Amino acid sequence: MKGISRVLVANRGEIAVRIIRTCRELGLESVVTVSETDKNSLPARLADRAVCIGPSSPMDSYLKVDAIITAALGTGSNAIHPGYGFLAEQPKLAEACATHGLIFVGPKADDLRKMGDKLYARKIAGGVGVSIIPGSELVHNPEEAADAAKRVGFPILLKAAAGGGGKGMKIVARAEDLSPVFDEASGEALSAFGDDRIYVEHYIANARHIEVQIIGDRFGNIIHLFERDCSLQRRYQKMVEEAPSPAVSPELREEICEAAVRIGKKIGYENAGTVEFLLDQDHGRFYFLEMNTRIQVEHPVTEMISGIDLVKEQFRVADGDSFSVSQEEVRLTGHAIECRINAESPGAGFSPCPGYITEWKSPTGEDVRVDSHCYSGYFVSPYYDSLLAKLITRGTDRREAIDLMQYALANFVVSGIDTTIPFHQFIMKHTDYLDGNVSTNWIENRLVKEYEKNGGNPFR
Amino acid sequence: MDAISQDEVIQILKMVEESSFDELCLEIGDFKLILKKHGGSEPVQRPFQTGEVFAHHEVAQEQPSVPMDVRQTEPERMASVSERDRQEMEPIGEGQEEGYLAIRSPMLGTFYRAPKPGAPPFVEVGRWVSADDSVCIIEVMKLFNTVKANVRGRIAKICAENGQMVEYQQTLFLVEEVDGGGETAKEEIAS
Repeated sequence: MKGISRVLVANRGEIAVRIIRTCRELGLESVVTVSETDKNSLPARLADRAVCIGPSSPMDSYLKVDAIITAALGTGSNAIHPGYGFLAEQPKLAEACATHGLIFVGPKADDLRKMGDKLYARKIAGGVGVSIIPGSELVHNPEEAADAAKRVGFPILLKAAAGGGGKGMKIVARAEDLSPVFDEASGEALSAFGDDRIYVEHYIANARHIEVQIIGDRFGNIIHLFERDCSLQRRYQKMVEEAPSPAVSPELREEICEAAVRIGKKIGYENAGTVEFLLDQDHGRFYFLEMNTRIQVEHPVTEMISGIDLVKEQFRVADGDSFSVSQEEVRLTGHAIECRINAESPGAGFSPCPGYITEWKSPTGEDVRVDSHCYSGYFVSPYYDSLLAKLITRGTDRREAIDLMQYALANFVVSGIDTTIPFHQFIMKHTDYLDGNVSTNWIENRLVKEYEKNGGNPFR
Repeated sequence: MDAISQDEVIQILKMVEESSFDELCLEIGDFKLILKKHGGSEPVQRPFQTGEVFAHHEVAQEQPSVPMDVRQTEPERMASVSERDRQEMEPIGEGQEEGYLAIRSPMLGTFYRAPKPGAPPFVEVGRWVSADDSVCIIEVMKLFNTVKANVRGRIAKICAENGQMVEYQQTLFLVEEVDGGGETAKEEIAS
């Protein structure tokens, strides 16, 4: 590293552990910000230093830009890695870094602002010839939404312009439902993003969620690291991700990855980012969905098939360097799957399940990777999200990766709290999943009901 | 790692000894040198407690008149840290607070003992304070927050250094409770 020497990791949980690990490999010192609850957490123990920035509530700690900047300056750090969530995609942290001479390990504040506006992002994609889902500009009331809906055809999606994570997003099947749902969507958008702007998109029912990992450097170069398939979602939260996608042919792969690079080049994107697409399975067409301007939760599946450490590349480009590899050197080898192990009760409507982990034994083995901050005796706090671990397996092909995942799940012991492990076991044995016969609403429309009916046993 | 040679360290030691300064802190890349004359009265805030190595005792032996403390951050060499060094590395222990009331920082920020540069400090050791007295300022990005004592008693120790960053809930002052002190103080002790 030329300039970066001490990194403030402004995050918690497994991603903080993940970033600290790469800091060590690169010989960088790490300082992690912690809330009062996280003072004795695994990241706090692994980092060279932990700085307590406030009480447990994220509003008073992990979301406080001024506290994070003060912690960085006070510890002599010269770079901040935001991880994902919290302030990762907030232009105000990236801007504050620039003001105080700190390197923000992420995109430019301007890129965050532009791509954070979903309507602007659609324009960018459309402008470089990438298909966007038929939709509208801003609609200000249910009447305007109804006009737009007539044009694009029902069913439609009402989406928040400032959106993300499914908040403020509502499916409307018929014209008569539009008015009440419109108010609901804009109200939800206002409370989640402080921005109630809504637009309309046609809803594609039989779709897959395909996203392309890209990374850009300061010199205008953009490379892609192939696609991930994140179709298995529940309430717009991804549960299982894999790479490559079983639904993408080599020709389609080339086309979709090239489209992602074109969008990245158009805005001169720097650092790691993900361009999300929806693949219409009935017509074999793909559409631009949105861009995520951060390292993503599911980045390990890409690392497993490409052999490239994405966090390392993030540091390289933030430091003014180029990538360690050229596009031609990026090779797709084998197949990788990731299951998100959450502290939720799949048997009780996926209700969150905080509490003490009395026993934690994660599986090991070549081609088994566990990214986690948990251990026996760890208290899962109700203040933060429910992700406990990401379990990733790799095989020479999809079948091998699935077999290994079944084995790994069966050997993952977590006691004291409920987790999504049994639900993942159910998925990994389901013929629809094995045959690649799924879509973005498969879990909600089909699997959750089957799971409840069969008491977690797919063969009953 | 070789930001500075042993000869250079000795030169610096001599310069500091002959100067009117009591303390020197030098950082070059990974290299960190902290010198204190006369044993250093205040406990220093020690960044990077894990993975630190006190690597240059031979230098210290050549210059016994100046206690010193040369550190390099190098996690791999943790094993070579001696027991004495470990004790030195212990942060201000909770044990020191026994019998005292602590005034803790309500937020992370920069600790200032005076209302403005050049002004006399809010409190000194030995000063009696009551709950409503201001004891210091914590600055967070140009925002100055006055901290009240919230306890009654005599300031026994100032635990943070002026101008240094303090963490959320870090102990700033230790206060000796006064007989028949305020109710707040009693409650603190009871809990």
